[in-house]
This record gives sequence, structure tokens and C-alpha cells, in this order.
Amino acid sequence: MRKNVIQLLARQLWQDAFRSKVMLIASALMLCLLLFSAYSGWENYHDQNFTRDEIQDEVEESWENNPDKHPHRMAHYGSFALRLKHVLSVFDMGMENFVGNAVFLEAHKQNTVNFSEASMSTGLLRFGEVSLAMLLKVIVPLLIFYLGFATIARERENGTLKLLIGQGITRKEIVFGKWLGLWSLSLVFLSAIFLVLLFFVLIESHDSMHTDSLLRYVVLLVAYLLFFGILSAITILVSAFSATAKGALVKLLGIWLLFVIIVPKSLQAMGFYLYPTPSKIEMETAVEHDLAEIGDSHDPNDPHFKAMRDSVLRVHNVENVEDLPFNYGGFVMSQGEAMSTKIYLKHQEDLYEVYGKQNNLERYSAFVNPYTAIKNLSMAFSGTDFQSFLHFKDKAEAYRFKLAQEMNQLQVDLIPNKGKEGPNTISSDYWKEFPPFEYHFLNISDVFKNELISLLALVLWGVLSIFGLLRLSTNLKAI
Amino acid sequence: MYSLLFKSFFRTKIFLVSLILLLTVGVISILIGKQYLVKQEKTIAAAQVFQEESIKKNVEYHSEDLSLLLYYLRFTLIKKPQNINAISIGQSDVNPLLQAVTIRGLEAQKYDTDFENPSLLMSGNLDLGFVIIYLFPLVLIAMTFNLYSEEKELGTWRILAAQTSGKAKFLFKKLLVRILFVFAVLIFLMFLASAMLQIPVNANFWAIFIQSVLYVMFWSALCFWIVSFLKNSSFNALALISIWVVLTILIPALVNNYVINAYQVPEALDAMVEQRDGYHEKWDMEKDVTMNGFIGAYPQYVNYEVPQDRFSWIWYYGMQHMGDMAAKKTSKEMKDKIIQRNMVSEKVALFIPTMHAQLSMNNLAGTDMISHLGFLDALTKFHENLRLGFYDKIFSEKSESSVDWTKHDVKFYHVNREFSWLKLLLPTFLITLVIGLIGIFNLRKL
Repeated sequence: MRKNVIQLLARQLWQDAFRSKVMLIASALMLCLLLFSAYSGWENYHDQNFTRDEIQDEVEESWENNPDKHPHRMAHYGSFALRLKHVLSVFDMGMENFVGNAVFLEAHKQNTVNFSEASMSTGLLRFGEVSLAMLLKVIVPLLIFYLGFATIARERENGTLKLLIGQGITRKEIVFGKWLGLWSLSLVFLSAIFLVLLFFVLIESHDSMHTDSLLRYVVLLVAYLLFFGILSAITILVSAFSATAKGALVKLLGIWLLFVIIVPKSLQAMGFYLYPTPSKIEMETAVEHDLAEIGDSHDPNDPHFKAMRDSVLRVHNVENVEDLPFNYGGFVMSQGEAMSTKIYLKHQEDLYEVYGKQNNLERYSAFVNPYTAIKNLSMAFSGTDFQSFLHFKDKAEAYRFKLAQEMNQLQVDLIPNKGKEGPNTISSDYWKEFPPFEYHFLNISDVFKNELISLLALVLWGVLSIFGLLRLSTNLKAI
Repeated sequence: MYSLLFKSFFRTKIFLVSLILLLTVGVISILIGKQYLVKQEKTIAAAQVFQEESIKKNVEYHSEDLSLLLYYLRFTLIKKPQNINAISIGQSDVNPLLQAVTIRGLEAQKYDTDFENPSLLMSGNLDLGFVIIYLFPLVLIAMTFNLYSEEKELGTWRILAAQTSGKAKFLFKKLLVRILFVFAVLIFLMFLASAMLQIPVNANFWAIFIQSVLYVMFWSALCFWIVSFLKNSSFNALALISIWVVLTILIPALVNNYVINAYQVPEALDAMVEQRDGYHEKWDMEKDVTMNGFIGAYPQYVNYEVPQDRFSWIWYYGMQHMGDMAAKKTSKEMKDKIIQRNMVSEKVALFIPTMHAQLSMNNLAGTDMISHLGFLDALTKFHENLRLGFYDKIFSEKSESSVDWTKHDVKFYHVNREFSWLKLLLPTFLITLVIGLIGIFNLRKL
């Protein structure tokens, strides 16, 4: 292949594109959309995080300002965990608006994460959201198809393809020249969006996050580069194998519809159909049932708690719980908390396993639908996928457990046992010492692990595209 | 003439593909609606069992203390599902169908969500509404984009032009054949849905039906308009798909983004914190602070004694109520914001048929945000009635046996939405009319 011939062909594609109205209208439209989504994404990120940060601080302040009291009151006072948005959520909103934003953390109870944006939205949310990533995932692929459908098909229709070959340009040069031209054309949009994004990543100066955000940014950039390369190859291939330019266009539009709308949606629906999820009330019933199986702390004669009491009494060599050197109520509570948390988490894990199965159907379809691969990668590296949410939820639950158990421990250690003399409250210094909830985003290496399938699929598609183009180079029909 | 046109249309590949696509996806969407209804039924059955059993069990454990028993007991209010929900599932997968609440502070329980897979929420339901709003226009586009250009490109137009007196009339008839086919499928699917999902054929059903028909008319007019420019096939396909993307994806999503940003709801988070502090701080205050507020709201309990030196249940439930009082204003503001979001969306939707179709279908199916707000209001009322029903017995330290527990089964809330035919049909009708007339005007030069 001669480099200058390929460059020439690529440049010709650029010239054709800029001469047509499609590119002009598309560029203007894209510019407006880019400005709007960058602005609205940034505003949303900024305002939401500002509010949530502020409330998290407020929560911490009111926690610390509690007067001296019984630690179990504080366990019930509880705390809140507010979900923070990753700076890259400006790029891809992912599931951001469909998962809750705040959870109340209290003793004995796991609350749901509430106040998702979706729960406060009108039915318009059903149409989706405009974000920088949405432009790259939905609109630009369509543009690539628009700009590329005629590349080979029309040259053949017009007879110019034969002419080119007659002039000594090889088929390989034609195929790769057109492909590179189309791909580089799509990079105009890509670079515009990623430049804007780079600006956001850089000005958001959480020092510790900086390298992490930049790394995520680079992965996203590479993934989209690859994705557009694949789409360009698909366009060239379809154009080459269609008799007419119109045929190529119709086929490409069909592919776009299948990739972007029909396949993901139907697979999601199918997953839901194949693996039904229990409702919350069903799971709560199951949790209660399991708890009752182990024992009932309310029942003085319950075998589990009786055995526990007897063993504690034996170890400390006393007859009654009142004679124990520590607060027995606190001890029972901490045992109960550990027990119920374990059971709850077990059920929750089962639930998430079902979600995983439901989603896997679509996830694995990445091997037939490159759009799915980029969709999942884009969300994951923007910190807006389901795993990122689960990570937050796990951290919040861990904090809740720690809070409850710390308060129980304070009760065990510092509150006199039933019937004993002594203060029933402890100093507020203990509240001040308890660290506030702080959230750190999922580690990038974990994101890689989560998205192994999508990465693999995308790379495979890349290889397949090159292979397809090479095959085409040998049997491209000139007439 | 028509029989010939039908025959030639039935022979095309696109007819077969469209027919199969619409019927399969249509039936799947109805099945998805069915599955949604079944899940709802299952949830309701589970809630009924749960409530009955949990009352029985707790009554057993806490028989000595009604106040403590009521600390634990949860009472369920269910938004009675209607089968018509299944046509347009709307926001009802995001918002829970039922709430089980204790008589403690409501604000902390009111917004608890059900478990839903967020991936599924994000991709949205493949309900019949989706099929009508997204797929029907696509099929129309696929069948009509080369209505004229095909003849031109194949070279048959000249022959036709020579043989028919009214060229425009001919195109019109050709278009009509295709539109009639799409309507036939639409009507078939609507009645199939009505039969399979057992949707009563009432005003709401007819309203959705007519809205759908108008919506498809709108797209037919749009296709006709593009065809009337007499451009080539590629141009038509490009233009129509672009319009489809703009109308079904871009504009609604842009409006959604705008509404979410313009009417942010930090109040939701504020109210949550206010409620907790409003309740908990009372533990460390004089009992009078709580009691004055509580008796201010409910003067009928003024005669119950509140011991100053020890815990009492009237004080406890008073504190709980004070939490709700503390969050009341913010909570109201939150609700107002959500209503505002809805109002703005609906106003814009008057000009965009896709948005209008979606929002009005949700509205008619009782699955929009407003009907959920109605449910939350009913829940507030339900909670208050529960509390007031129990307060006297709690405060006078009655025993558990003074309550007839069999009466406390799950309760249902019935959605009752009214709609205006004019507001429903006029916007799409007018837009269709205008576009159709422009199309006819364009064709005069043929």
C-alpha cells in the first residue's frame, strides 16, 4: 500500500463530505448539542455534588453536636450517606439518574437508597438523556453511516471505481483509503467532545482523583477511537457489498436501529422475563423468616439467645446477666446486628445475582453488537454504571454497620449493667471522635475487571473489522 | 385501481418485513405488559400475606404493650393497578406500587423504593406504548420514503405519468394503501392488547386508541410531506430518519435535561435530614417543646397526662410526629417542584407529538408522575387516619385486644384521573393538518 495514495483517497472523502449539505447541517447540529450537553452535564454534576456535599457536612455537624446521651440513642439517630458523582459523569450519565442518591443509615435496619432523579421525573426520562457520551454513542454512529454509505457503492454506480482501479490504484488502497478517510472524519466529533471533557477533568481538582480521572479519560478515549474505527469499517463493508448507494443506506440505517435501540432493549426485556426478581416485600418476608429461624431476641426462652447467654455467663463465671462486668443489653444488640446484617446481605447478594443474570444477556451480546460494548465501557469508566452504584451502597452499608456496632460497643463498655449504679449517658466527645462517611470511587483496576467482557468484545470487533477490510481488499467488485 | 395497488404492495419485501416486525414486537410488548401485571399481582398477594402474618406474630410477642406493638407493625397501602397500566408502563416501574408504613414519622418511610434493576429502568420498558411511539413511525418511513422516488429511479414513473390523469392522486392512493396497512396492524394490536390484558374498553382505552391513531396520522403526514419534495430515495431516507431521531430521541431528551436542571430538587434531601433532626433533637429537650407542638396539631389529646420524669408513649409518638412537622414545608416544596417539572414538560409536549403521545398515554394509563403524587397524598392521609385511630388507645394504655386486627388488612388506593379530550387530541391533530396541507400544496407542481 502506498501511503500517499491512501492519503489522497482519504482527503478526497473529506472534500466530498464537506461539499455535501449533510456534513454542514450535522456539524452545526452537533455543535449546538455539544454545547448544550456539556453545559447541562456540568451544571448537573456541579449543582448536585454541591448540594450533596453540603448536606453531608450538615449531617456530620449535627451528629457531632449531639449532647451527652446513651449510645443506643445515637445508633438510632444514625447518619446519611449521600452519593457523589464522578467528574466523568459529565460525560456519560449512565445509570446515574436511575439509582438513588441518599440513604439513611440506622441501627437494625437497611434502608433503600432513595431520591433517584428518575423517581422525581416526568415520563420524558423514557426518551433518554442527552450527554456528551450519548452524542458519541447514538448520533455520531448515525453520522458515520450517513457520510459513508455512498463511499464505494456510488463510485461503483457511477463507474468511477473501475476508473480508479484502471489507473493502477489497488483495491486495498481504495478500501483502506476510504476507511481511514471516514474514520478520521468521525474523529472531528470525537476530538471536539473529548477536548471539552479534558477541560472538565482538569479543572475538577480533587488532587487524589486527578490521576484516576485522567486514566479513566484515556481509556474512554481509546475505546471510542476503536469504536469509531469499527463503525467506519462496517460502513465501508456494507457500502461495498451493496448494489446501490440507496441499498447501502437502508441497510446501515437498519443496523443502527438494531444496534442502538432494538437489540439492547429486547435483550434487557428478555433478561427480565427469564430471571424474574422478587419484590421488596417478598425479600423482606424472606429475611424475617431467616432471622426467626436462627432465634428471636425478644423471647427469653429462645434456644439461640439462651445458649448465648449461658455461655457468656459461664465464661465470666457468674449466675445472672446483671452480675456481668459489662452491659449485656449492648452485647445482645451487637450480636443481633451482626446476625441480621449477615442475613440481609446474603439475600441482597442473591438479588444482585439475579440482576447480574438479567444484565448478562445484554452484556454478552457485545460480541454481536459493538454498541453494547461501548455502552458498558463508557458507563463503567465514567463511574455511572451499576457496579459503581453498588460500590457506593456497599460502602454506605459498611459505614452503617460500623456505626451501629461502635455504638453498641460503647454501650457494652461504658453503660453500667442493668440494676447497677452509674450514669446512663456518655460524653458527646465520643460522637465527635467517630469519623464521618467519606466516599472514594471504585478503583480503576476494579473497573477493568468488571468490564473485561466489554473490552474483549471491542478488541475482537476491532480485529474482525481489519480482517473484513482485508478480505474486501481482495474481492471488491469494480462493477 | 386500489386492488392493484394493494396487490403490488403486498408483493414487496418491505411489506412482509414490516408486518412480521410489528406483529412480533407488538405481541412481545403485550406479553411484557402481561408480565408486569403478573408481577404486580404477585407483589400484592405477598403484601397481603406479609401484613396478616406480621400482625399475628407481633401481636403474639408484644401482647402486653399495644404501644410497642404499634412501633413495629406496618400497614400497607396499595395503588390499585389497572390493567391499562400495561399499555404504557411509564413511571410506574420507578415508583413503588405500594408502601408499608408504621405509625412513626411518615417522611422517613414515604419515599422508600422497591427493588428494581437500574439497567432495566434505564433501557425502559418495551411496552405497547413504546412500539407505537418508536416503531410505527419507522415502519411508515420504511414503506413510504421511496413512494415516488422508486418509480422515478426505476424509470416507471414516466409510464405511470402517461397513463394516469392525476399524478398526485396516484401517489396519494399509493400512500393510502400503506397507511391503511399500518392502521390495520395498529388497530389489531390495540384490540389484541385489550383482550390479552383484559383491559376494559372504557373512555381511557378509547382515548389511548385515538391518540395512537392520531399519532400515526401525524407520521403519515410527515412522510407525505417529505415525499412531496420529490427528491431521491437517499435524501428521503436520510431526512426522515433524521426527523425521527430528532423527534423521538433528541428533543424529548433535551427537554428532559433542561427540566431536570432548571427545577432541581435539593428539597428532597433537605426534608430527609430535617425530619430526622426534628424528631431526634426532642429527646434532649424539655417534654413541653414536643407536647406543645403536638397538642397544637391535635388539640383533642390535650387531656392525656405526660409524666415529666420518665418515658411515655404519648411523648414518643409526639416526637415522631414533630419530625414530620419539621420537614413539612420542605416536603411540600419538593412536591411543588415535581409538579412544576411535569407542567413544563406537558406544555412543551403540546408542540412535539412524540412527547405528547408519551405523556398523555402515561396520564391515561395512570402511570405518570402526577398519579404517583396522588398516591403519596393518599398515603399521607392513610398514615394520619391510622395514627388517629390508634392514638387514643395508645395514650390511654389500652391493651392489644382493644383493637380489631382483622380490620387492618391491606388497603387500596384507586387512581382516578380525569382528562380533557380537547387537550389530548387537538395538538397532534392541528400539527398533522398543517403538515398534510403543506404536502398537498407541494404536490401541486407535480
